Amino acid sequence: MENLENKDLTAGQADLTAENGAEPEIAPVFPEREAAAGGSPILECRDLSKSFGGTPALNHITLSVMRGRIVGLLGPNGSGKTTLIKLANGLLTPSEGVILIDGQAPNKESRTKVSYLPDRTCLPTWMTAVQLLDFYQDFYADFRRDAAEEMLTHLNIRLNQTIKQMSKGTREKVQLIMVMSRAARLYLLDEPIGGVDPATRDYILSTIISNYNPDAAVVISTHLIADVEKVLDDVIFINQGQLVLQSSVDQIREEKGMSVDALFREVFKC
Amino acid sequence: MNWQFNADAPIYAQLVRQIKLGIVSGAFPSGERLPSVRDLAMEAEVNPNTMQRALTELERDGLVYSQRTAGRFVTEDRQMIEDAKRTLAQTHIQSFLTAMTRLGYQQEEILTLIRQEAAGGEGVQHGES
Amino acid sequence: MLSKLLKHEFRATARVMGPLYLVLLVLSLCANGSIRLLDNRTSAFLNIMGGLVLFLYGACIAAVCIITLVLMINRFRTNLLGDEGYVMFTLPASVHQQVWAKLIVSVVWFAASAVAVCLAALIAVFHVEYVAHMVVWAQQILQNITAYYAVNGTMMILETIVLCAVSAATCCLMFYAAMAIGHSFANHKTLLSVAFYVLFLVVLQVCGLTSAFNCNFDLHIAGAAAIHAFMGMSIAASAVTGAIFYVITTQMLKKHLNLE
Repeated sequence: MENLENKDLTAGQADLTAENGAEPEIAPVFPEREAAAGGSPILECRDLSKSFGGTPALNHITLSVMRGRIVGLLGPNGSGKTTLIKLANGLLTPSEGVILIDGQAPNKESRTKVSYLPDRTCLPTWMTAVQLLDFYQDFYADFRRDAAEEMLTHLNIRLNQTIKQMSKGTREKVQLIMVMSRAARLYLLDEPIGGVDPATRDYILSTIISNYNPDAAVVISTHLIADVEKVLDDVIFINQGQLVLQSSVDQIREEKGMSVDALFREVFKC
Repeated sequence: MNWQFNADAPIYAQLVRQIKLGIVSGAFPSGERLPSVRDLAMEAEVNPNTMQRALTELERDGLVYSQRTAGRFVTEDRQMIEDAKRTLAQTHIQSFLTAMTRLGYQQEEILTLIRQEAAGGEGVQHGES
Repeated sequence: MLSKLLKHEFRATARVMGPLYLVLLVLSLCANGSIRLLDNRTSAFLNIMGGLVLFLYGACIAAVCIITLVLMINRFRTNLLGDEGYVMFTLPASVHQQVWAKLIVSVVWFAASAVAVCLAALIAVFHVEYVAHMVVWAQQILQNITAYYAVNGTMMILETIVLCAVSAATCCLMFYAAMAIGHSFANHKTLLSVAFYVLFLVVLQVCGLTSAFNCNFDLHIAGAAAIHAFMGMSIAASAVTGAIFYVITTQMLKKHLNLE
């Protein structure tokens, strides 16, 4: 059943890219996309463990994230979500096991493919929005400056304003815009909607949808499931460093007859 | 289009139903081009893959067809749309009848009530100043 | 990538250093004016003003030295070990490039500050007679060194410059290593950084003293060659120490980075 689903989506994914150009044109056929869709994962963990001192933050995790999927990494606070994301970034090194980004261990090159949104604002406060755009454009070849500028002006953020002068909500939006303006292969968003107001939440989810790229995967780590559920393809439940469940949202609703939010509450009942 | 989702059915199935409703009600007129998958997904605030799956299913049903160069279009087959409208109506009627039966009404009583409510509703409309 | 890091680093630090040097320049010119003023001894008020300006000038020179050191150390801490580290360490650059960028920029600013202070001194005493006097004086020293030691004076000056640069880099790396270790712990990061720095100082002192006491070899070279040898060994010792701290720093940042 899973294979059939993939095949359907593959045909659809080819259409998705063809529709990107608004003008009707002869759309090229992408035979390699059929192969890639069932092929190598963009993020893979094999028996991955990480301990700090004695306590294991992650315990023998095996999972994979395929391209073109928006995946929710769901779990209570302290379950290991942030540790997993930091391992994917190369900010931490595994104690045991292996983590692979597009088939290679996290290194300088893999970081060109990964766009990371930390769970707090980490931008240098002395920079103006323009200087920040220069910074990202300098370091990342895949940074789409025009898209970023458009999003900033759409939100009425003056480009010569310093980060220090911006409100907390604006800073978070700016950071999100920078991260989503990269044409990366893997987006890692750590608690992107946690501390923001509902309107900003909608904006963030809408940005994620509009940036969708069948070649890239998005991993959203959150504990606010009801808001993101409609946007997710797949979910990964993680608790106390252990993988509890990996499934698609459709499968959960079909087989268990409940939303992911309801299932989460049931699985993680206190 | 007012996109509503509940918690029990898969989202793609709910999207199929709502797009069907849109076609039948004329929000997506017959023969007209549908917005792109990305635009629809943004409007409905759902995952583009899910929207894609819903549209593929509608294609399979025949309500929607795609031209590789130009995008997706609502079928021009008005009979098919009428049939879909009839099927949706039947679903509504069935669930209505089930609910009324559960309340304890018989078929004749139900029909009388319907006529009364319909007439009363019009009366209210004319009566309003 | 290293050049991009350097560009960004200079941009970030020049925001502070630029204005600082500007203030120093202005105060140097004022100091120059004050000195001439004090020469005239006209009114008590002007004498007080002159004295005040000279005091500020002196304070500014001290400030330039202190701020340069503090800024370079703090830059490493805030940019790599603080929240900004989330952005910096996820850039497509290696840890080595990150450390070298900080190191090169620090040494450059140390050198710039040294030059700035010297220039400030020259500007302050810019009376035509003094300057001409100093140029003659410098030439005489050079000639004396050459004559006495039978060695090229400029060679020694070059060695001194290299020694200063390497020592400055090693000094920075000692701070970086201490902070990298201190910040790998969950609590008391600053306290532990200071503690490790003191530890390093102690270890260096011990090493220095033991080698000084045990250094009994006769090299059978005298005079100028001895000075060259001494300079060479000093540079080597400093470089080795720097290399050790470099390895500590990069290893800690690679394996035990703790951004929280």
